[in-house]
Amino acid sequence: MTFKQKLCLLAGASLVAFSSSAFADSTVRVTIAEYSKGTGPYFQEAAKAFEAANPDVKVQIEVVPWDSLQQKLTTDISAGANADLSIIGTRWLLDYVSEGIVAPLDEHIKPEFKARFIDTFLTPSVMNGKVYGLPIAASARAMYYNKDIFAKAGISTPPATWADFKTDAEKIKKLGGETYGFGLQGKEIETDVYFYYGMWSNGGEIVKDGKSGLDSKAAIETAKLYKSFIDEGLTQPGVTSYSREDVQNLFKQGKVATVITAPFLSGQIKTEAPKLNYGVAPIPAGPNGDKGTYGVTDSIVLFENSKNKEAAWKFLDFIFTAEQRTKFDKIEGFLPVNAEEAKDPYFADNADLKVFTSLLPNARFAPVIPGWEDIAKTTSNAVQKIYLGQGEAEATLKDAAAKINATLK
Amino acid sequence: MQRATAPYFLILPSFVLAAAIILWPLKEIVSLSLHDVNRFGMLRDFVGLEHFRVLFADPDFIAATWRTLIWTVCVVLGTLIVSVPIALILNEDFYGRGIARILIMLPWAISLSMTAVVWRWALNGESGMLNSALRDLGLINSNIQWLAEASTAFPMQILIGILVSMPFTVTIFLGGLSSVPDDLYEAAATEGAGRWDQFRLITLPLLRPFINIAFVLNTIYVFNSFPIIWVTTQGGPANSTHILVTYLYELGFRLGRLGDAAAVSLIMFVILLVFTLIYVRLAMREEKA
Repeated sequence: MTFKQKLCLLAGASLVAFSSSAFADSTVRVTIAEYSKGTGPYFQEAAKAFEAANPDVKVQIEVVPWDSLQQKLTTDISAGANADLSIIGTRWLLDYVSEGIVAPLDEHIKPEFKARFIDTFLTPSVMNGKVYGLPIAASARAMYYNKDIFAKAGISTPPATWADFKTDAEKIKKLGGETYGFGLQGKEIETDVYFYYGMWSNGGEIVKDGKSGLDSKAAIETAKLYKSFIDEGLTQPGVTSYSREDVQNLFKQGKVATVITAPFLSGQIKTEAPKLNYGVAPIPAGPNGDKGTYGVTDSIVLFENSKNKEAAWKFLDFIFTAEQRTKFDKIEGFLPVNAEEAKDPYFADNADLKVFTSLLPNARFAPVIPGWEDIAKTTSNAVQKIYLGQGEAEATLKDAAAKINATLK
Repeated sequence: MQRATAPYFLILPSFVLAAAIILWPLKEIVSLSLHDVNRFGMLRDFVGLEHFRVLFADPDFIAATWRTLIWTVCVVLGTLIVSVPIALILNEDFYGRGIARILIMLPWAISLSMTAVVWRWALNGESGMLNSALRDLGLINSNIQWLAEASTAFPMQILIGILVSMPFTVTIFLGGLSSVPDDLYEAAATEGAGRWDQFRLITLPLLRPFINIAFVLNTIYVFNSFPIIWVTTQGGPANSTHILVTYLYELGFRLGRLGDAAAVSLIMFVILLVFTLIYVRLAMREEKA
């Protein structure tokens, strides 16, 4: 045997050894949505810690940008190449359940495991009485307000009602300069949600008795209210060119006095605009005292075609311990989903987060209806038309409601 | 017999390859477009031309089709009109030509999505560079919200489209210009032809095949170009800046209507096929003449 042949043999042998180490035990593949630059490193670390405790299981983490997650899952699933576990938006879950793509978790869930969770967050992923996903990320919405701008305009407290809010915004306008009272989102994902904030306060619902609530009096009044904010120069100009991130940036720059968004903005402000003097308050109430906020969870699901369901469950069990959850939610700025985690002083003593958690009893989650994305898109289009003045509020919303009702059937 | 089959045999490998990467997906797309499909691409009942019926009844689809036409014509013609003089200038020998050439080519070196992201920031109404530049120059008094409405967003998208198609087109033209022999110009100058006549009677006719190829390739690229529009407006507000390819993406991957999306992609395929066939016919007729 020549040296070269020996070398080849050695290489071959090591290849075999390598592949056996990778495939002999079960490998759990996990698709992770990238919430921030800390997401990937957190999961890599969690996987390592898990592997150390469970040497027979390997965990392979695939990090995907949130924006392309849905596209990746769609193509992976249609090719049968999906991972064992994946994060998905809970609002997509119904489609996954009705197509039999995700597996129910009930056989694994012991009472002890269930008791770890704050109930509000577990319920959105329960369908037909079965748990199909675990809340990996949870958030709600509240109004951030710039205390300095409010003080300059002579306002001492955040607005309790939309009527107060409008008076406040007028006072802020009188300050002159390019500062606007209401940071209004009018572009891209969640444009519809920004509209629902006002609609809920006016007593409206997205879907009521299987019909769209967009043609309700509450919705029409909200559209007129928002439009009056725009027309009177109380919002930033050109609202339809501002996505959620854009409005948040205006808030960080002190160009808008308020923005309604999720807890993670606190963390961004801490690093990007540490001098910003802001507070967090509930979304203003309507004339009858109605209130609402948007509750959102993302779920981690187990695919029906997974060959390693037992090992995958072990990993789920691991990442939903209070210790792991605390680590993750601190990195991402999400709300605690785990009751024990919520007692951690980081969450319990955080003034911003306290506001968010206090709003949870009034939180609305995306309704569990087929074609939710379609409905959201129709709503966004309609409110954009109204904001632009290309359609009259009542007629535009009625058209949209008719379209949504056709989707709901 | 031998002689007749040999050529077919020789092209067989490349034909098989082409079939695998073109015909097989085409067959899949056709079958998607004729079935009820769930969002994960699993086929349900055969529905015939239902997806096409839905599309042609959809005003947003019709609008996107017309907009695609405007988009393609404006970007392709705009690019050609801008690129010819630029190529002529860069073909002259002047001090700093190397740097000038690099500057023109630079956008080509950056991924299209990155360029689009940079423009999205530049066009931001309150903190965008374009507005602050225009204000510093005293051209505007208040900020223009470029991306808030289609009437300002779409022309800007076309301008970005022209900007990014230019490097490729200028390169082709520079190649063409370097093949024009200098003595033609000398002869023409002796005969008393001015610079305009030289351009009209010598440069342009000799550049013709290069303009043709730039026209066809640009048309295909621009017709299918996704990043500029998706990154800046995602086809919004209220679907008012969608072209077919962004509409297709939204239908397929945002709204999970894969059947409708497959139908759109088939329609786009047919439009491009017809365009290519017409072009090939014209080109062949010219060659014969």
